[in-house]
Amino acid sequence: MTTTIPSPTAVLPEPRLVRHYRQSFGRVIRFEWIKFRTLRASWVGQALLVALLIGFSALAAAMSNNRMGDTGRAGRFAEMGPVAIVLTGANLGVLVVGVLGCILGAREYGSRMIASTVAAVPRRWQVVLSKAVVLTAVLLVSTLVGVFGAFFLGMSVLHSGGNHTAALGDPGVLRQVVGMAGYLTAAGLLGMGLGILLRSVAGSIGVLIAGLLVLPQLAGALLPASWDPALKYLPSSSAAAFTTIDRAGTDVLSSGAGAAVLVVWVLAVVGGAVWAISRRDV
Amino acid sequence: MIELHQLTKRYGDKVAVDGISATIPPGVVTGFLGPNGAGKSTTMRVVLGLDRPTSGVALVNGRPYVDSRAPLAEVGALLDAKGTDGGRTARNHLLALGATVGVGPRRVDEVLGTVGLSHVAGKRTREFSLGMGQRLGIAAALLADPTVLLLDEPVNGLDLDGIQWIRALLAELAAEGRTVLLSSHLMSELELVADHLLVIGRGRILADMPIAEFIANASVGTVVVASPDAATLAPLLAGDGVTLTSTEAGTFEVRGRAADEIGDIAAAHGLRLHQLATHTGSLESAYMALTRDEVEYAGAVELHAPHAGTAQRSAA
Repeated sequence: MTTTIPSPTAVLPEPRLVRHYRQSFGRVIRFEWIKFRTLRASWVGQALLVALLIGFSALAAAMSNNRMGDTGRAGRFAEMGPVAIVLTGANLGVLVVGVLGCILGAREYGSRMIASTVAAVPRRWQVVLSKAVVLTAVLLVSTLVGVFGAFFLGMSVLHSGGNHTAALGDPGVLRQVVGMAGYLTAAGLLGMGLGILLRSVAGSIGVLIAGLLVLPQLAGALLPASWDPALKYLPSSSAAAFTTIDRAGTDVLSSGAGAAVLVVWVLAVVGGAVWAISRRDV
Repeated sequence: MIELHQLTKRYGDKVAVDGISATIPPGVVTGFLGPNGAGKSTTMRVVLGLDRPTSGVALVNGRPYVDSRAPLAEVGALLDAKGTDGGRTARNHLLALGATVGVGPRRVDEVLGTVGLSHVAGKRTREFSLGMGQRLGIAAALLADPTVLLLDEPVNGLDLDGIQWIRALLAELAAEGRTVLLSSHLMSELELVADHLLVIGRGRILADMPIAEFIANASVGTVVVASPDAATLAPLLAGDGVTLTSTEAGTFEVRGRAADEIGDIAAAHGLRLHQLATHTGSLESAYMALTRDEVEYAGAVELHAPHAGTAQRSAA
């Protein structure tokens, strides 16, 4: 068998390397994008997310139509605003997108692909940041498709049932719908950062669920009331500040502050991932 | 060119690489030989920047690899044949890696052909055998036409055909002026492909010499002499640089005199010879002798013993 290496010259000078093969952040983004799009989990996760958002919206709207005035479990839909009803699927959607993020962050450690990745991109911060860029871009598209799909389908179901509806032009509604897409994207980034930090899919999923779903409930129930002002800075509580119109309780951030707090959480976790991957032996 | 200066790597209390210095020049194939756990992989990982040295430096073409502006075009490495995501196809794996330095689909298909994986390019790598994984790893290493190749146990898992192919490939790559470093724990894998040997044991360099020199050192053999007149013959053979070792009555080993010389001396004195046999030392046994005290896992020695055969004693 023969090889096809072209240059039969002596030691290859650096200018040739730099001219043809120079690494740039754009090329690293392309690397991460190819890795993302060639994994089935990427697309299964996003399809599941969109299906959940739209499916639960239709389901919740239909239940709300049928059970208006009920005091049972389904009756609670009657007490919720129309936007909250059609965005019901986001409660599970956060899990799906968070798990997807954890997989994208930690999977390379399980498969040992990370050694190839870091050898190909020795300035490791670029690995984390380009993963984040790709994930943000992709998730913004799929979460926006999901929340707007859920919104329009759910509202038409509510309308057909003679129920209250909301329009995108109503005060706060557009912010709430787009904000939900932002929160879902942020959950994916938190998962990705945790996945890289902990190097374990299972471990990072555990921490993510604990942080987003369990901790707020547990802390609210167990801690004395004097702690309530601190709890509003948890990721899920800060997200609630801009994904709901009628806020429960007084200790909730304004929507702008909530968004800022969530961004700080994402920056902290992704920054932690950059710090960890740069310091550790692979 | 790879330069190691006083390179040390510790994992906790354990010293994996212990202050090694060496230069691996371009244009020749350098074999990196040592028992399992001797520090070969660690050294390669440090050169690639995967692990950070505890002290000392490793330079690739005069700079630390992490500062390389075109990483995959600078160093192509095969460290772990199973280091791919099993859910990704071989072609997509290479497309992704290639993208980091602007290598496109045409070159990817070309290297897939070079390593003989074109027919399974669209297969998920979890279905690959170890040998196919090795070939994919070699394809990834060749992808961006690198000036330096680092191959950790590349022969592992290849069939005979593949071994011959990689020998020819490495010789050609070195002849093109590239730096080629390949590791193995088996001398037999290196003796036909390497021009230069770097022997490592317990994290230290034990030998750094052209393989021809290593062979010359190793082939100093012994002559087994069996004679009913051994008691008379032995003193006649003694001299400068000659050692005699008796294993049983009437039989002894001579080192430092050739068989014909011994035969002539015996004939000149009218002494009977029942056996006169030359045992040439093998490379494997020379390597074993070198690393005997440096083996990390004692079990590894047992594995090599059959290769060394009867000549084992001669090189000690």
